[in-house]
Amino acid sequence: MKVKFSMLPLLALVMMALPITPQAQAKTEAPAPTITLDKTSLANGGEITVSGQAPAGAQVYVEFYSADKKVRANRFDSKKDPKTGQIPYKFYLTHEMPAFYKILVPKDMQPELDKAKADGKDWKYSEVLKKIGADAAYSAPAKIKIDSYQATIMASIIGSRGNLLDAMDEKESKRESMKLVKGRFGKVDKLLAANVETQPDGAYTAKIKMPAGQAPGKYSVTVTAVTERIKEGDKETVKKVKSEAATFDNTVSFPTVYLDSAGTSINLIWPFILCLVISIFGVLMGAGGGFILNPILVSLFPLPHTIVAGTVMPTVLFSQGSGIYNYSKIKFINWKLGIGVGCAMLVGGFIGPKLTEMITLDQFKFAFGWILIVLSGLMFWQTTPGYLEKNKKEQSILKEFKKRAEECAKKGEEGTAACPTDQK
Amino acid sequence: MKVDFWGHEFEVNMFVGCLGGFLIAIMSSMFGFGGGPFMVPLMTVALGLPMYIVVGSSLLAIFFNTAMGTMRHMQFGNFDLLLFLSMFPAALLGGYFGPQIAKRVSPTVVKRIACAGLLLLALNLLGVY
Repeated sequence: MKVKFSMLPLLALVMMALPITPQAQAKTEAPAPTITLDKTSLANGGEITVSGQAPAGAQVYVEFYSADKKVRANRFDSKKDPKTGQIPYKFYLTHEMPAFYKILVPKDMQPELDKAKADGKDWKYSEVLKKIGADAAYSAPAKIKIDSYQATIMASIIGSRGNLLDAMDEKESKRESMKLVKGRFGKVDKLLAANVETQPDGAYTAKIKMPAGQAPGKYSVTVTAVTERIKEGDKETVKKVKSEAATFDNTVSFPTVYLDSAGTSINLIWPFILCLVISIFGVLMGAGGGFILNPILVSLFPLPHTIVAGTVMPTVLFSQGSGIYNYSKIKFINWKLGIGVGCAMLVGGFIGPKLTEMITLDQFKFAFGWILIVLSGLMFWQTTPGYLEKNKKEQSILKEFKKRAEECAKKGEEGTAACPTDQK
Repeated sequence: MKVDFWGHEFEVNMFVGCLGGFLIAIMSSMFGFGGGPFMVPLMTVALGLPMYIVVGSSLLAIFFNTAMGTMRHMQFGNFDLLLFLSMFPAALLGGYFGPQIAKRVSPTVVKRIACAGLLLLALNLLGVY
């Protein structure tokens, strides 16, 4: 009886407290922002205005991305870890990167974006996101599956990715996804834009500007309103509410076509014309033309350098093959020399493409620029009088051999003294 | 190593040739081209061979490089079929019309124009303009 009595006031207190807590929760639970798109379909890019109502005083972010099309993204970590002084040699790979990804942030964040742009290629996506508070809106790429591999120098040389490591935890995966996003899309302007305008009552508008040449299909748009930021020393807790996801469609029509591996759409006429002009030029010069096609494609179109390198190579393969066929018909090839050096090149050709993966687009452009300078120097040297003189004699011998070879082939007199074969 | 060609014999330093070929192959397959314009100076200068041997044999050597490079790139998923299909016919046409135009132009002039073009392209890639 004594026990029951002393429990009563406690019970009474608990019963009083109960109704209060749900009420308190109702106060801090802000309503989800509404979202309206003024257009739901675009033809190869265009502008859509997103508007709606967010809680008054909240910071509004708009995240939109390609929901249909996924591309591959990878990153090779060869930077020395400042803490351990070691180079991790880790390779990160995902096949689920959205082909297009962008976050719109409040207009007053523009100075931060300008600062990031001033950093050039070293800007840090995750830091900028934190500074402008957009990491609250960063959600789609955080969910993609990323594989990490432990590579070694030896493994990279042979071209194996290395050993598949255990999956990363959520936090690590989110951080790595940010690095992959930056690696894939590169520039600040491609990933962030400060054009969200909010009224004091919480109404907001923002403009989605889709450039041409992007992935077609469904795009998903989500608005995140950050209502509170509580800083406790180093940690920051953020109270946010998300809207429903709205969608719009982007369509591309022939001859503009979506390239699966590249993640961008391109009007096929241009590569065709470009390739035609360069092939003709290449024949005139006496060289292949792959080394011109590559940089032009990379600088004119939004294509990743890995795709360009991998697609241009088979294109020139056929012209090389036909050249070899024609030359061998007139017995113009020294098989011993060609195959000898060719074997060394086989090994080099095995290693090279792996390295393409490991460099960024900017490094690619930079290195290629220097290669072209060396090449143009070489070619200029080939037009100098001294070279031409020496070459003239050889060219005339060449012409003579060619004539003799063609005549021999016609008459079918190979193997005789007049038409020695060069086989050994 | 000795090679002969149409009755003439040449001494070739295969060590230099293979090393040079190896390095050129790495670089060119990394960047997506065959390496032809590098092989010719390698063979004429470093190996001291005359032009008439170099033309065909260098083509054969870089064919190995291009073939292997293509296979590896495909293995890595760097090959885009649509892009390839849009360029391949153009390459064939270029190979057909090129020689016909070549008869009428001087290769020196073409090379000089190419030099200028390459320099401009290089400057663009390096971000100078």
